[in-house]
Amino acid sequence: MAVYKRGYERYDGPLTSHTTRLLAMPRFAWARLMDQKLVVILLALSMLWPLLCGGFIYLANHLSLLQGFGGNDLGKMVEINGKFFLIFMNTQAVFSVLLAALTGPGLIAPDLANNALPLYFSRPLTRLDYVGARMAVLVGLLSMITWIPGLFLFIMQSSMAGGTWFAANWSLGVAIVGGFLLWIALLSMVALTCSAWVKWRIVAGALVLGFFFILAGVSQMVNSILRVEFGTLINPTRAMYIIWSAMLGVEVPSGPTPWECVSVLAALVVVLAMILERKLRPVEVIS
Amino acid sequence: MPSVIEIDNLKVMLGRREILKGISCRLGISGAGKAIGLLGPNGAGKSTLIQTLLGFHQPISGSARVMGYDCHRQVRQVRSRIGYMPESDSFIGNMTAVSFLRLMGEISGLPREVALEKAHETLFHVGLGEARYRPLGTYSLGMKQMAKLAQAIVHGPELVILDEPTNGLDPQARQRMLKLVREMKEDHGMNVVLCSHLLGDVEQVCDEVVIMKDGLVVHQADLEAERKSNRRFVELEVAGDDSTLAANLAALGADALSEGGGRWRIVMPAQLEISDLWQVMAKLDLPVRKLTHRRDTLEEIFLKAVGHLQRTPGEAKEVVVNGSL
Repeated sequence: MAVYKRGYERYDGPLTSHTTRLLAMPRFAWARLMDQKLVVILLALSMLWPLLCGGFIYLANHLSLLQGFGGNDLGKMVEINGKFFLIFMNTQAVFSVLLAALTGPGLIAPDLANNALPLYFSRPLTRLDYVGARMAVLVGLLSMITWIPGLFLFIMQSSMAGGTWFAANWSLGVAIVGGFLLWIALLSMVALTCSAWVKWRIVAGALVLGFFFILAGVSQMVNSILRVEFGTLINPTRAMYIIWSAMLGVEVPSGPTPWECVSVLAALVVVLAMILERKLRPVEVIS
Repeated sequence: MPSVIEIDNLKVMLGRREILKGISCRLGISGAGKAIGLLGPNGAGKSTLIQTLLGFHQPISGSARVMGYDCHRQVRQVRSRIGYMPESDSFIGNMTAVSFLRLMGEISGLPREVALEKAHETLFHVGLGEARYRPLGTYSLGMKQMAKLAQAIVHGPELVILDEPTNGLDPQARQRMLKLVREMKEDHGMNVVLCSHLLGDVEQVCDEVVIMKDGLVVHQADLEAERKSNRRFVELEVAGDDSTLAANLAALGADALSEGGGRWRIVMPAQLEISDLWQVMAKLDLPVRKLTHRRDTLEEIFLKAVGHLQRTPGEAKEVVVNGSL
């Protein structure tokens, strides 16, 4: 029967599980994000560097193809090791910041601007569920351009270089996935907090970019003026670079130790979580 | 069967202010399809009470239960049985009405296909069928109110809480909204809590009424029983000497209350007709400036409860005898 002829009837069938309900939110958000051309273009651009890296890995393992171009020397230049993956991760980190700045603000800011939170929280959802569902959108999106291609490159290299290489470098795979997951967690928290902090999407996007670029500038200023190195700790990008270097077994730059960087970033995530907790209320109470 | 809402000495503070100051009441019967009106002047605590029932605020003492579930400790069970229509605009601006309702249905627990079906069904039900593919941001105020109602009932909840549902609606849209609310309880067996400061809305729809003032429940009445008592209230304004009017009306079995300046409020027994009143006026040679009559009692109940009227006419005999407040 046509829906307009049917009339309203109360639903009394079985209800879905809590997890299924939660997954509905990222699904709808994903569908809306993929409708935005800019997001799709940036996502496609973010895949270029992994493709190039894939090409490098292929060539590095098929030096015979480069014999006419001085293949052996070139082979030494593109040696696949921790340094190679660190460069790959740094480049993808830039794309991931841009993608988070573009997509993150659209996740919470519109709900706050349109006062939609009471509608979510009058249903069987907690604030933690809501944040988790919103974060899942970013985690999924950022994973597509970070650890998934990273892992793919690692598997590609392992399959081409053979078991010996894998046995000697398996920790690189763990470092790529683990390092990127840490980065995604930090980036998602920054993007969600900015989105919850300001209701205007464009401003929230600028705030996400500003968070990384301004803190990098402030950190440089602190180091230069005070002639210290601990200023690096307030630069999340540099702090993460130090952590990744340690994880990938590459020489760690001078300055704070990786554990100090981990501690500062963990504290930052806690502060961001507290801000989110403060901002995400179904009703605003003015003391 | 448990009550729809059971509140026991509920105290809620927002910031440093105590908004609900120890209220207790039992309202409705679960599954009976009744409507409960929540009345009160602005700042009485109606919205805070609703938000506490939804688990948005934590009580500092006492308890509130919905359908037998504690609103603070069993908030998930409570919320899965409730549909809530907030007072202020609440929607996702760039979503179409169908997508919005589908999302709300799915996070309320409807399977994907059912949620889509119910979204269409509900939008037709509230009169937004033709506009269902338009973004909600382009809707008029009246349409937004209907969309808010639709999202509250899309999953077929046992209890629907409506916070000022007729705000900003023109008379026609208001009547349509009230009709939908009546259908919800009468045809679909939902319990409804209607929070409003418009007596007419509550009167048309509700079976019970709770009147709040300054964070306290000041009155609770069964409107159905009041209606059944079939008392007829008359507002009368006369010119000239009306000192003997109360006694003459008392002789007919009517209770009268003088408000001064020739204005009277009269409660007539069921057997007395308006024509009998005219005969008394003619007998006393009192020119009648105004005579209006109605069958409801809600306005008197409300005014008395909030302290604007000292006594309801017909309630206190001694007031009627001397004919003054």
